[in-house]
Amino acid sequence: MASLSLKHIEKIYENGYHAVHDFNLEVEDKEFIIFVGPSGCGKSTTLRMIAGLEDISEGEFLIDGVKMNDVEPKDRDIAMVFQSYALYPHMTVRDNMGFALKLRNVPKEEIDKKVDEVAKILDLEKLLDRKPKALSGGQRQRVAMGRAIVRNPKVFLMDEPLSNLDAKLRVQMRTEIAKLHERLGTTIIYVTHDQTEAMTLGTRIVVMKDGIVQQINTPEHLYNKPCNLFVAGFIGSPQMNFLDAVVEVKGNDAFLHIGDDVLKMPADKAKILKDGGYDGKTVVFGIRPEHFGDGRGQEGKQNTLKCKVEVRELLGAEVFLYGDINGKQCTARVDPEVDLVNGMEATYSVDMRKIQLFDKETEKSLLWAV
Amino acid sequence: MERNTMAYKSKQFLMFAGPALILFCMVIIIPFIYGLFLTFTSWDGVSAEKPFVGFANYVSAFKDAYFWSAIGRTIIYSAFAVVFVNVVAFLLAYMVTSGVKGQNFFRAGFFIPNLIGGIVLGYVWKFVFNRAFVAIGEAISGGTVPSLLSTTGGAMFCLILVSVWQYAGYMMLIYVAGFMSVSDSLKEAAMIDGCTPSQAMRNVTIPLMRTSFTTCIFLSITRCFVVYDVNLSLTKGEPFFSSVMAAMHVYNKAFTYKDYGTGQAEALILFIVCAIIGITQVYVSKKGEVEA
Repeated sequence: MASLSLKHIEKIYENGYHAVHDFNLEVEDKEFIIFVGPSGCGKSTTLRMIAGLEDISEGEFLIDGVKMNDVEPKDRDIAMVFQSYALYPHMTVRDNMGFALKLRNVPKEEIDKKVDEVAKILDLEKLLDRKPKALSGGQRQRVAMGRAIVRNPKVFLMDEPLSNLDAKLRVQMRTEIAKLHERLGTTIIYVTHDQTEAMTLGTRIVVMKDGIVQQINTPEHLYNKPCNLFVAGFIGSPQMNFLDAVVEVKGNDAFLHIGDDVLKMPADKAKILKDGGYDGKTVVFGIRPEHFGDGRGQEGKQNTLKCKVEVRELLGAEVFLYGDINGKQCTARVDPEVDLVNGMEATYSVDMRKIQLFDKETEKSLLWAV
Repeated sequence: MERNTMAYKSKQFLMFAGPALILFCMVIIIPFIYGLFLTFTSWDGVSAEKPFVGFANYVSAFKDAYFWSAIGRTIIYSAFAVVFVNVVAFLLAYMVTSGVKGQNFFRAGFFIPNLIGGIVLGYVWKFVFNRAFVAIGEAISGGTVPSLLSTTGGAMFCLILVSVWQYAGYMMLIYVAGFMSVSDSLKEAAMIDGCTPSQAMRNVTIPLMRTSFTTCIFLSITRCFVVYDVNLSLTKGEPFFSSVMAAMHVYNKAFTYKDYGTGQAEALILFIVCAIIGITQVYVSKKGEVEA
């Protein structure tokens, strides 16, 4: 088990493409770190630099204080689970799992013992003599995990390991991975573009965009205190609603004008707007779908937003109401008993403690720093 | 028309496969059957009469010591040529897929010898062996140097060398396809598992390229067994008939010595030997192939 340190890591390809900018991260022993972001944000490139599959253009990468920049992948004591699983098709499951140990000249009896132990954990005992092509997607995924676990490496690297599985299996394997992390107590770095995986698995999440780290923190922190518009929009499903709002400061009070609706800011947020000189300026108001009230019987009350419901989506335990607030598409997550249907006018109460505010130009949060 | 009927399916089959099937029958199947018939005659290749002689041609073929020594020579030539063609082709393929600068240029360059006909190739190399190498040899040693083609061992060596030069580029393309079919993630997984580059090649890349090996070895065996054009233009079977390969012997028997029946029987025996070796090799190699 190990701690990792990435200091000012840069990745610039030969064609001049700057894939990763000034990446800094300290990973403590047994942490489950998630790199998340849209396609092309540099998350896989960073993981591959940690694995040694890509050169580090600038900066320092250390495992347990030892510089690893020029160390071969095989000598880094890491194991990796690939998106495509990368199982050797000509080897049986047993041979796939024991291959790394065989290369290290571990005696055959010991290899068999370790493979059997891990196969038991992952419920692969009956599949040990099969070849990968005779396995289902979920089984292949478990073999790929097993191959990594058998080695007992310092760090596990996982590059979108669940993206090839169907939705049901993905949820199941997600739980399995969480349990494994708890059981093995290993340092894991996990790449995904799925924010649900990020939220459910990670002890800390690194949100990336265009090769730049946007924010690094716990899932709760990122969800409740996003540092910019991108993080706020990326973390959470359905995503946060964003509306343009004009600020009006009156004495110590501050109000947001969204179309005809007016929201009175709580004292702490009013102070930020006043001190920041936002009076008369337009800011981005953010609110998560679940922080709207149920949209009934709120007419004429303070801190409400009117919305024309366009689509009602029943998911069983909850209902998503998609509609239009001041010309912007918005989503509200409400109770299934709410009887608002397509075409009806809703008036949502707004939980003012949970709202987010962003500078329209810099897109940075007015409420939270990184 | 009903799409599920036999008539519709037959018509569709004939429409697409018919032209090729007719051509294949005309140039392969019918001549083969006709050739089989000629093995039972004492036709001289010219006259209108084709007297039936039963198995006499086969008896004569089995008794023909020159034929069997040509077969033996062909086996030796093929064994060396197949090994060297495939080793060279594999190494070239490795080189042009390893990201070396100008790899597309090299790929095209290595393939070009395959585009030149065997006769032309033979004459070009004959010039090289008889003139260029001799001149270089004489310049270095200061005395008279015999051409490699004028010695028995040398002629065989030249034949193998030219064949390797001719076929390696073609086989290289098949190996290139094989290299490219092994996914990068497998190679990366091998690196992370602890493989050195040579271990990754031995344990991962080569086992996954078995289809390429099967194809290339089969193609090179079948090509080498029936080599004629390079044999004719480069050595003409000389010196002292020491480089007469089986195909050249069969040709001479049928057309030079006007013994078409025996020549045809020997051709059939050559075909059977070639088919047995080729099919055995494909059967053995196919058993170890895996789907990626």
